[in-house]
Amino acid sequence: MAKSAQDPSRRRFLKGAAAAGGAATFAVGYADPLAKMAKGITGSAGEKPQHNIHGNSLTPEYRVDLATGELTLTPDQRVAFTICYGCTTQCGVRVRVDDTRGEVLRVAGNPYHPLSADDHLPMRTPVADALRSVSAYQEQGQVNRSTACARGNAMMSQITNPFRIDHCLKRVGERGSREWQKISFEQLIEEICEGGDLFGEGQVDGLRDIRDHDTLIDPDNPEYGPKANQLMVMEATDYGRSDLLKRFTLNAFATRNYGHHGAYCGLAFRMGSGAVMNNIVTNAHVKPDIQNARFIMYIGCAPSQAGNPFKRQGRLLAQARAAGTLEYVVVDPALNAATSHAADNNRWVPIRPGTDSAFAMALIQWLLDNHGYAKEFLELPGQAAAGAAGETTHSNATHLVIDTFEHPRRGYFLRASDLGFAEPGSDADLPVVVSGGDLALCEEVMTADLFAERPVELADGSTVTVKTSLALLRESANEYDLDTYAEHCGIPKATIIELAQRYASHGRKAAVNCHGGMMSGNGFYAAFSVQMLNLLAGNYNMKGGSAVGGGTYSGTGEGPRYDLANFPGKRGPKGVFLSRSRFPYEKSSEYQRKVATGENPYPAKAPWRSLAPPTLTEHLPSALDGYPYPIKAVIGCMANPIYGQAGLKGVIVDKLKDPKRLGLFVAIDGFINETNRYADYIVPDSVMYEVWGFAGSWKGTLGKLSTACWPVVEPRQQKTAEGEPVSMDSFFIAVAKRLGLPGFGDNAIPDADGNLHPLNRAEDYYLRAAANIAFQDEPLPEANAEDIAHGGITPLLPKLERTLKADERGRVAYLYARGGRFEEASEHFVGEHLKHQWKKTLCIYNEAVGTSIDTTNGLPNSGVPCHKLPQLANKQPMREVFSEQEWPLLAFSFKSNLMNSYAIGNERLRMIKPYNPVQMHRQDAERFGIQHGDTIRIESPGGSVVGLALVSESVVPGALGIEHGYGHKDLGATPHIIDGQAQPDMPWMRAGININDLGFQDPTREVGGTWLEPISGASVRQGLPVRVSRV
Amino acid sequence: MDAVRRSLLGQLARLSAGAALVPLSSLAPASLAQAGINQQPARREGDPSKRYGMLIDLRQCIGCQACTVSCHIENAAPLGQFRTTVSQYEVHHQESGELATFMLPRLCNHCENPPCVPVCPVEATYQQQDGIVVVDSDRCVGCAYCVNACPYDARFINERTQTADKCTFCAHRLEAGLLPACVESCVGGARIIGDMRNPDSQISRLINEHRDALMVLQPEKNTLPQVFYLGMDERFTTRPVAEPVALEVLAPHGQEMGYEFHH
Repeated sequence: MAKSAQDPSRRRFLKGAAAAGGAATFAVGYADPLAKMAKGITGSAGEKPQHNIHGNSLTPEYRVDLATGELTLTPDQRVAFTICYGCTTQCGVRVRVDDTRGEVLRVAGNPYHPLSADDHLPMRTPVADALRSVSAYQEQGQVNRSTACARGNAMMSQITNPFRIDHCLKRVGERGSREWQKISFEQLIEEICEGGDLFGEGQVDGLRDIRDHDTLIDPDNPEYGPKANQLMVMEATDYGRSDLLKRFTLNAFATRNYGHHGAYCGLAFRMGSGAVMNNIVTNAHVKPDIQNARFIMYIGCAPSQAGNPFKRQGRLLAQARAAGTLEYVVVDPALNAATSHAADNNRWVPIRPGTDSAFAMALIQWLLDNHGYAKEFLELPGQAAAGAAGETTHSNATHLVIDTFEHPRRGYFLRASDLGFAEPGSDADLPVVVSGGDLALCEEVMTADLFAERPVELADGSTVTVKTSLALLRESANEYDLDTYAEHCGIPKATIIELAQRYASHGRKAAVNCHGGMMSGNGFYAAFSVQMLNLLAGNYNMKGGSAVGGGTYSGTGEGPRYDLANFPGKRGPKGVFLSRSRFPYEKSSEYQRKVATGENPYPAKAPWRSLAPPTLTEHLPSALDGYPYPIKAVIGCMANPIYGQAGLKGVIVDKLKDPKRLGLFVAIDGFINETNRYADYIVPDSVMYEVWGFAGSWKGTLGKLSTACWPVVEPRQQKTAEGEPVSMDSFFIAVAKRLGLPGFGDNAIPDADGNLHPLNRAEDYYLRAAANIAFQDEPLPEANAEDIAHGGITPLLPKLERTLKADERGRVAYLYARGGRFEEASEHFVGEHLKHQWKKTLCIYNEAVGTSIDTTNGLPNSGVPCHKLPQLANKQPMREVFSEQEWPLLAFSFKSNLMNSYAIGNERLRMIKPYNPVQMHRQDAERFGIQHGDTIRIESPGGSVVGLALVSESVVPGALGIEHGYGHKDLGATPHIIDGQAQPDMPWMRAGININDLGFQDPTREVGGTWLEPISGASVRQGLPVRVSRV
Repeated sequence: MDAVRRSLLGQLARLSAGAALVPLSSLAPASLAQAGINQQPARREGDPSKRYGMLIDLRQCIGCQACTVSCHIENAAPLGQFRTTVSQYEVHHQESGELATFMLPRLCNHCENPPCVPVCPVEATYQQQDGIVVVDSDRCVGCAYCVNACPYDARFINERTQTADKCTFCAHRLEAGLLPACVESCVGGARIIGDMRNPDSQISRLINEHRDALMVLQPEKNTLPQVFYLGMDERFTTRPVAEPVALEVLAPHGQEMGYEFHH
């Protein structure tokens, strides 16, 4: 609402003006308006708005009679339900479309959608009622809202963004020179598939040559797999289309190497969660049931500042603090939007970056010492006992772990087979517990000892020491005393004790939550220890505790109508990931060779992480350094690791530019980002509301759901010769068809009767997936004409007609008219338990972790959470290499509630926050002679940026807070030249700084790599050593 | 020399707390609507049976700016000009010493005694019978007297139309039986609009329930604002004390680098 200082030079005046009648009535002192009146016939001297009172406000999308509720649609406007891709929450939204111009007018929430609505509507609600439900009729729309956030509102401008790429591009000059020529889609496909001397730089292998499943990459290391693995496909994240991308990548082309952003997003958190939940494969995780919890500690995450799901967590937290049902603390290096001065049941507890494990282990120590844990629950040794006690699950707190270091079974649970009572690996080979003083199988007793330790003679005659999982946790927690933990994390001991007491006092309605704050040097164990607090409270599956959520209605599996998981000629990828993950180094040929020659196999040449999923953090640097093997081509879909991974730019850019290290780099994207600016080709993609796809809820919703999107507006980019929009979908379809790959083309998709259907267009895939969703469980009803009109899906009908069987169309229309399929909100609880439950044995001790080997030193990893200060790859403390004297501050990042890594082109977001000042504590500012508002240089071992100091007490001393999403070098920040035409130069697109420019190459690694968390390979960005100086 | 003249999202206020709530003395009965208050022209148009107002429950504001952006789109405001904003403050609690965040959404207060109306030389701005203060752009000459008369910085001269522009409570949507953009998109559910003449409306019920805790901005100005705040810290009722510009900073070379859409 800035008052406008009028700039006369910018005014536009009406011509041929004459003073209007009545001007003479003005009193003295109105000279200025009189002057204006002289220039304008009516009052306005500027553009005449559409309406004298409502200005240029949008025409309402429909009208609702407040007396009768009668709803009248506005001609030429449509409300359609789809997905917002403004962040990874992927909320269901309602989009207003101007049909005459094919434009999106504004975006709000889908009232059927749990991520957007307060109480989401039942599916059976007619769409007209849904539109009425968000209106003022009976105040329904404000009693029960369905919203889009600021970014969700603003992101529609991606469609018209001036930097949007709408044509296939081929690079001109050397890689990264920011110069391009437009080519046809067909030329692009031919060149990529067939290769040749494409750039006058020598022969480039095309995808046809690379897809060789008969020749090994390296006969000396056969486990690396076939040459087809020399194509790497990476994507940002699942923007609703991952399953099609993976169909091509993993099962048609069948390369092993697929990667996404997880390892520079929140992988350390995910793996720590997975460790507690006994699922280190898909890394399950939980969110608190905010509505029913009484006390929540948010550690390294900040609902309503950020987090996934952003809106839902923010809304529930706001409601709970207003209703006074919840007390919560936010443990974070920076003050953020999660704490509210307007209510008194919440507080901020500052913590030093990267020290969360100290805080969590201190809490664990106190809880174990003071009986602050769910004793009866933890004493349940098995599912039989859990069932008898009316519990949904149990933990391994009482299970005995073999703890004799030299013994080959060290780290494994003591099992029936160890004692000779069962065949190893059989169903009867259960873990052993101590109950009533005796050893017993966990499923045969109703309660067992929590803290036991004793020698046991095994069937093979050896004697080992066994300890319960909880005893091992206590040992680990007692490694430091509370004073040391407090000193490390910067939270006073008294505060730690007070929080522990409060946490314990709320029993099973106390919960913790963590997320991106765990991307630190000890991030895996930090997350493991934080999530352990949930287990100690016994709150999994509990109303008011930790919820695993409802999962998704997947349409891309072996569905009731179509089998989208399998197809004739489907292949499975084989071989070792470039990131050397999910494969024990000890099984590699390299290891065997070293052992055979008597060489110490440790440390490995570069870390192998047997527990981690494929990590994009290692993929690219390793491939470019040729270890374990080199690659020939990369296809990237919206992936931007150079912006997203701390320090990656310095590690790989020179190598990425070298065509000898990487022959072919194809990017699929609507924009040119910091990574794909080095591509050889760019395939223009649909953006936002132009795409097909399905999304789930990441977590935080209690019911099952699947969100659907379809092109509610026509994609604006180039078309293929067949008239389809060029996009990720059409790219993979065209490549697969040209190479003759299975799973694409005319006979690609089997239906339930085994008949084959085509996959020649995007909708061939997505509409059949929709049919699978619509027919799951109790099939959805068929849409009626009213639903179709109110749900804005009329443009979709010809596609349904063309693609689906007659009996499928109505039900699929029902789904798209509502934006997906959503379980009813009333179905979330069964008594005091959540309906959707996690059933695996919860882990105090994680056997998979405890038996894994750290390949940098050959030692086993700890199977229980532990505190460590951050270390580099060779286990040297980070502070030993980068001393506090030289690098006195620790930089950390936090998510913005406005900007994200892809949103800088949104002028309405830049208008609110044009760049990101750096948060610095007053004490530090004084120490370094910096004042509020000073321009400062921030240097790290890997980079240097210039930012603006925001000096306050809203950050912990010794830390430097950097909001993520700014500091771009591309996405419009630097103009590219396309067909000789320069893009506009908009300096604001490069405003602010990016913490990842402060990341660095780990100096203790042999194969190039950034600083990564040891267990997960996650990028370390919380706690980067830096120094600052005034510019 | 670079300087932050205004910091993040308004001012970074650092206040020591003392959270005594002042009972809202100025909460006018909704029936006050009558012509000619403070020499304003007779109220006209709008539904005379209604009196719109807004209650903002600050405890539920999460500072997400969805209102700011959705309003901006709905009402086609020029970049950098706002009908509503949310300022974010860092507040120091006197007793506990703790810091917390305070969000303050602002918009036109649709005052019962609107100081912007009588100063208009052409009677372009007027109050509807439902209490909504509007501007007739056919009459407005863009003199900005109303802009200056508003103690809440709720008005601006629209750089495209060259006329006074302000929040209308999305009157075009209310007339269509829809909710204002800011209310519709309020993620935390903080903004409640409604007819204060209807005792059963959500806003009337909330006003009744929380009457003693509600506050308005700058009550001493006797403008009788009809936007009420719940969870308000009394010290913020003096807002705005300056224009809410996001950032305004000079680069090392002296050029302004603070605000892309600066006016």
